[in-house]
Amino acid sequence: MGIRLHKEPDLVKPVMIASWPGIGNIGIIAVDTLRTTMEAEEFGEIEPWDFFYPKRVLIKKGELKELEFPYSKFYFKKALGKDLLFFVGEEQPSDGGRAYAEGRKAYQIANLVLDVAQKFGCRRIYTSGAAVAPIHHAVKSKVWAVPNAEHLISEVKNYPNTILMSDIESREGQGNITGLNGLLLGIAGRRGIEAICVMGEIPIYLQGLPIPYPKASRVVLEVLSAALGIRIEIEKLNGFIDHSEKEIERLYDKFPPEIKEQLDKLKHVSYSKPTEPGPITEDDKKRILEDIDKLFRKETKED
Amino acid sequence: MNENIAYRIYKEPKLQASSLIVGWNDDAGNLGDRVIKYLNEKLGCEEFGEIEPVEFFPLGGVSVEDDVAHFPESKFYSCPKKNLVLFKSNAPRAEWHKFLNTILNVAEQYCHTTEVYTIGGMVALSAHTSTRELFAISNSPKMKIILGQYNLNNDMDYVTPPEQRPTISSFLLWVARNRALIGASLWVPLPFYLLATEDPAACKRVVEFFDTRFNLGIDLSDLDIAVKKQNEKIASMRFSFPEIDKYIRNLESNVALSQEESEKLVKEIEEYLKRIE
Repeated sequence: MGIRLHKEPDLVKPVMIASWPGIGNIGIIAVDTLRTTMEAEEFGEIEPWDFFYPKRVLIKKGELKELEFPYSKFYFKKALGKDLLFFVGEEQPSDGGRAYAEGRKAYQIANLVLDVAQKFGCRRIYTSGAAVAPIHHAVKSKVWAVPNAEHLISEVKNYPNTILMSDIESREGQGNITGLNGLLLGIAGRRGIEAICVMGEIPIYLQGLPIPYPKASRVVLEVLSAALGIRIEIEKLNGFIDHSEKEIERLYDKFPPEIKEQLDKLKHVSYSKPTEPGPITEDDKKRILEDIDKLFRKETKED
Repeated sequence: MNENIAYRIYKEPKLQASSLIVGWNDDAGNLGDRVIKYLNEKLGCEEFGEIEPVEFFPLGGVSVEDDVAHFPESKFYSCPKKNLVLFKSNAPRAEWHKFLNTILNVAEQYCHTTEVYTIGGMVALSAHTSTRELFAISNSPKMKIILGQYNLNNDMDYVTPPEQRPTISSFLLWVARNRALIGASLWVPLPFYLLATEDPAACKRVVEFFDTRFNLGIDLSDLDIAVKKQNEKIASMRFSFPEIDKYIRNLESNVALSQEESEKLVKEIEEYLKRIE
């Protein structure tokens, strides 16, 4: 079980951006878009066989030629004063068919990622995922940011379109980040590495659907662009977003009218503090959010 | 128990340059399970060890099938007379790579195994009256040459379709190749409506191969009788139920059935064969 580096790039205090798939693939789309836009070069990988079940076999003329596993790859980009490291995991390692990594495997793979980060003198790590929220898909997603150290809160507050857990009504700054996008934050903290998880909001009614939500990846990229001080060609996502919007509208049209009527109210409700004064009273807002919550019978969660 | 050792050996077998045959309990039509049980019985194999389940299976309780509680098993049997090792197991649910290496560790360390075979059933949209073909996938050119001497199809092309995963047998072949062990997985297409009961013809096809390959000298007449009996039962059913006869005739003529027809055929055959057992 280990890391294979094909190359040892000479990097100066790089920032690492890491992601694994999760709800709506928001984080992985954002990180992969950034990686390809920056033309980052692959330089290593985590050996997969102890973490993953193979994903594809190739048999030619009766002989097993290849067994392909989900990849976990490292990339780098040298840029004057802003060297970047990327980690992209195609799957979260999972024992027993769970969607998100937990336990020993998750701990092992997170530590391997951090071994590489530390080897190259990484000073900061960003991870990215989804925040399931009572919002409507017609509304621009916000980004929830969670740092692994208190001193980073003031920095995070300056990111555009970003909220902290304490900005969310009824949360009192509490929450949970499921899977490796969250776990990496905690383990980085144990090693004394600063880390921040940025999560794009996805409407609560889309969380269980097997479709990506690139609209939230775009807002994550806007935050990463500001945080890293680099210009990112976010426009590259536009085609993907248009396609996804059409798909969501098509699904939304199939919802029963009474559910759509409830969900449409989310266009006018903000669950985060402070609430903008508007046509919906505080009582109405409370009732709408309670109704939506009952409708989905699931607590708002993040990944 | 030593935490690094995932297996227990009760009695060290006396084998040299042995061949390992692996059957999985829950493959299509339980073919692997049936073949290993058959070989075990015919060759008088002796159980000599097992893999501990704790790392490889969820142990939050037991599954109940046909009113009986089941616990995962992963057992080794040896047949010194024929220099064979048999391994019968449920497919692991976690730590697959470690599990597969553990099988080969035991086989190499205690049985000096030099070649590996796995058995698997494939679902086929064919009639039970069709000939059972044997397909083989090798993990090396050397094994492909060996298999070329036998009556089987070893020229198959295959890529895992999207949304599906390779079989545990393919994974084992790959692990064996990385340890310079030659191996092959053997596959028999099973008529889809016999998956829930049994297909003695498929079992016979695999046993025939091993019988020839290892000069086992097994008397297969009991399998011939089982095939004949099952064919007679289905023939009798076809006579009594014209609709079932029509479905099977269509399959015999390579005419595909609708989903509804297929489901009905599976249900009726399963119920009928169980009822007259």
